[in-house]
Amino acid sequence: MPLLGHLSLWVAFLVGLWGGITGFAGGAHRRDLQQSARHATFALFGALLVAVISLEIAIFRHDFSLEYVAAYTSRNLPTFYLWSALYAGQKGSLLFWATVLSLFAMLVQLMTSGRHRVYLPYVAAVTCAVATFFITVMLFAANPFERLAFVPLDGRGMNPQLQNPGMVFHPPMLYLGYISITIPFAFAIAALLSKRLDSDWLVAIRKWTLVSWLFLSIGLILGMWWAYVELGWGGYWAWDPVENAALLPWLVMTAFLHSVMIQEKRGMLKKWNLALIIGAWLLSIFGTFITRSGVIASVHSFTQSSVGYFFLAFLVLAAALSFALYASRLPLLEAEATLESMVSREASFLFNNLLLIGIAFSVLWGTLFPILSEAIKGTKITVGPPFFNQVNVPLGLALLAMTGIGPLIAWRRASIPNLKRQFAVPLTSGVFVLLILLVAGVRDVGALMAVSIGGFVFGTVAQEFARGARARHRQYGEPTPYAFVQLLARNRRRYGGYIVHVAIVLLFVAFAGMAFKTETEATLRPGESAELKGRDGHVYTFTHLGISQYNALNRQVTAALIDVRRDGKAIGRLRTEKRQHVDALGNPTFEPSTEVGIMSGLRVDLYVVLAGLVNGTEQAVFRFTINPLVWWVWFGGFVLVIGGLIVLWPGGAPVAVKGPSSQAGYAVKLEAER
Amino acid sequence: MLELILGIALAASATYFVLLPILRPPLESAGALSGDQGEDPGDDMSPRAVALRALKEIEFDRATGKLSDSDYEQLKAKYTQEALVAMRGESGHGKRDTGHVTAPAVTFPVSRFPCPEHGDRPEPGALFCSECGRRLGTAPGYCARCGTALADDARYCNRCGARVAA
Amino acid sequence: MTDGTRREFLIAVGAAFVSFRQTVQQSDSQTAGRVYDPQRAGRAQAPITAGDNDARIQAVEKKLRCSCGCGLDIYTCRTTDFQCTYSPGLHKEVLRLTGQGKTAQQVIDEFVAQYGQAALMAPPKRGFNLAGYFVPSIAIIVAAAVLLRVLRRWTREAAAVPVRAPVPPPPAATPEELERLQRELDRLDA
Repeated sequence: MPLLGHLSLWVAFLVGLWGGITGFAGGAHRRDLQQSARHATFALFGALLVAVISLEIAIFRHDFSLEYVAAYTSRNLPTFYLWSALYAGQKGSLLFWATVLSLFAMLVQLMTSGRHRVYLPYVAAVTCAVATFFITVMLFAANPFERLAFVPLDGRGMNPQLQNPGMVFHPPMLYLGYISITIPFAFAIAALLSKRLDSDWLVAIRKWTLVSWLFLSIGLILGMWWAYVELGWGGYWAWDPVENAALLPWLVMTAFLHSVMIQEKRGMLKKWNLALIIGAWLLSIFGTFITRSGVIASVHSFTQSSVGYFFLAFLVLAAALSFALYASRLPLLEAEATLESMVSREASFLFNNLLLIGIAFSVLWGTLFPILSEAIKGTKITVGPPFFNQVNVPLGLALLAMTGIGPLIAWRRASIPNLKRQFAVPLTSGVFVLLILLVAGVRDVGALMAVSIGGFVFGTVAQEFARGARARHRQYGEPTPYAFVQLLARNRRRYGGYIVHVAIVLLFVAFAGMAFKTETEATLRPGESAELKGRDGHVYTFTHLGISQYNALNRQVTAALIDVRRDGKAIGRLRTEKRQHVDALGNPTFEPSTEVGIMSGLRVDLYVVLAGLVNGTEQAVFRFTINPLVWWVWFGGFVLVIGGLIVLWPGGAPVAVKGPSSQAGYAVKLEAER
Repeated sequence: MLELILGIALAASATYFVLLPILRPPLESAGALSGDQGEDPGDDMSPRAVALRALKEIEFDRATGKLSDSDYEQLKAKYTQEALVAMRGESGHGKRDTGHVTAPAVTFPVSRFPCPEHGDRPEPGALFCSECGRRLGTAPGYCARCGTALADDARYCNRCGARVAA
Repeated sequence: MTDGTRREFLIAVGAAFVSFRQTVQQSDSQTAGRVYDPQRAGRAQAPITAGDNDARIQAVEKKLRCSCGCGLDIYTCRTTDFQCTYSPGLHKEVLRLTGQGKTAQQVIDEFVAQYGQAALMAPPKRGFNLAGYFVPSIAIIVAAAVLLRVLRRWTREAAAVPVRAPVPPPPAATPEELERLQRELDRLDA
């Protein structure tokens, strides 16, 4: 239904424009305009939903008169991937992006209650304006409903690398994270415009930031998983510009989620928090620009197109407008800032922010440095993983240490005896882990530090839970197991946050495991085997059993079967494939792709790749890799999400008595104690 | 053709829906005062709530060994003062002299409250009368037995079921 | 019907390939059977040699960039993207240069001479590139210094206010107020 889709895009464009104008114009006074902007977000979502449905109908009907359908799908594409074809290409993903944004715009209108309603007209305006930008790009540069002059018999099909379950869920999650940053940003702009810059806006956006952070985390982890199982180099993070672009807003939002606590408690850092939110959003747009413009070479790039200019212009305009607005409101953001002590939770949060923003800056710098070098010196250079590791590993380790140090330091002021009491257990646990590793013969400095600092952080979290439960036990006489549950249920933000810290430890330990990967390549005839000693002390024997070839729905498969033995004992079989994708007529499409065989375990992953055949015989070239601790990356991601959900779960906080009137405004006058 | 009709219908309904509030301006009261329902109490950023939360937190921090007793006392005095100031600011709308309070100085944490029937209590810091079990120092709007805040028109306490004195 | 044409096509292609290859590689087909259609399995691979698994050569290749545009280093590209036509050639060149007795650094220098600085995975630490390496660290150090100064100012401001009284004055309040406060605190526990 291309015509309907096209029409609905225009409707969405006009409605979005209207919503943007009425929202800003309605502002604080014109109630009719405010309501109209509110309705515009609903109508926007409706129109875009119609466009999405029309595109999906065209995809499912194999309507190859549409350029997009012909370019990214084919008649023999499995149904599962027909769904994900919606965001497999540039144009469709723009539509998907705009639709999800309008969905969030609608949800925020529906779900925001109470005092925060004053911001809603502006929020509607900002979300409508951003969505309108995406619709503009579609209408004038990348229309998913563009028609071909002729109707091909079959489409080109989907890139084999995208035909992976990870790819069905990874982009939407990442997009959800990326897109939902717009909501906190919209609230920040609303607060600036309405000049209601007390701490209320923080509350309104804290949850949305957390939602966005959570989706982005899931998107990043799924992206790593997809890279690991599909791309076949045996790793999950390569400091690719597009990966970096997704990491940047995540880092900034993490910084915000920490520093926001200082503002809530102390009323400090108003300017900083606003700048972080605006920065996170601009970085998300920057990421979109990098992904879609092709200015920086990346394996993820969509095909190069004029879309990049739109994004660049939008990025510059948005940055200029938001920071001009920010600068004009700076006088309103003055806050008395006092600090009882340099050794306090407040100070430790500030150093945590310094590290997070420092990492974000160095990643951004490394990503942009090739452009900078070419512009200034005229020399093309590559900034690859060695650069990023060199700069970011020490910073990452320092950040990991802060994860353990921060919670140990009391708010407001920490005294020396107090610090001794707090640090004893965690430090012991860290040193203990270090000694165990040294005895076990680990000599890699990075891994030693990562894991022993991890032990320290784990000690911190365990101590926090134990002391918290004991305190509840004493205060309310709850039995210890119940006190644990209550601790988590009553204080979700704090203890959910600690669970996220545990997840970060798991992730770092798993990352450190990559220092111990072993790999070898081998040419094997059927019956021959290769041996590889893993760093877990076992010798793995891989025996090539044979090659089989067969046809599947949209591909011709060449599969190698491998028998795996650990120390001579059979532990299973691995299968690795070459896939030649074909169209409905049996003609090859795309280059042959590789399917990795993975046997995942708690200690090591066995990772086998079929490189190819020698002279068309069953003699085949394989790459065998033993990747330690990769399973813990996925598990760490899972724990991270659980922790995030605990923090996010509504309710749970103690029920306060409602006062006669809850007047807005912040007035924690710290020196008001005469 | 069908698509065109659907598209026009979509455009028409979107236009109607978006312009509805302007064509028929909403009543001022509608929706404007839907109030605070569904809000997380932890989100309350009023000075009173902030100070109360800070008081709870330092108590917990002391219990978990993060604050020394002297720091605790000092901070507690500070946030108590803030909470009191905020509470006065909220309840007594009339008197705006929030800063300095000239009421007789009382030592914190708890002092004695007289029982309405049995007079002054011998135990310092008593919360209940040791003769009749009545909660001491109750105020109108709070349950006399357990202290729960009551709705204006409540006839029984929603927590302990005690009858509310008329 | 499509299936039939596809099979015919494949058999034709396969047969052509087999007849072409059979004369060349008699020896292999004795121990490893010929597969039905080798073309489906991507580019034919050469048997692995000791040089391919040599850790020193891999270390060199991990520092050099593949010129196919993948953005990966030569080692990762040749062991991941088996369709790449550049990385096997670059690998052979590394092998050739190492075979001539060149050290790792000499091989890398040779590549830089031939392909420019873009051949390196990380830019050499000299000239303008130093900015690439040190700007982030310097920025963080400067930011840390600024942060420390700001913190010190804040703590001084806090100290200037007479907070440090050893025993703070008891809050002045009526019993009713204190009772209400206590009640609200109890409520927070529930």
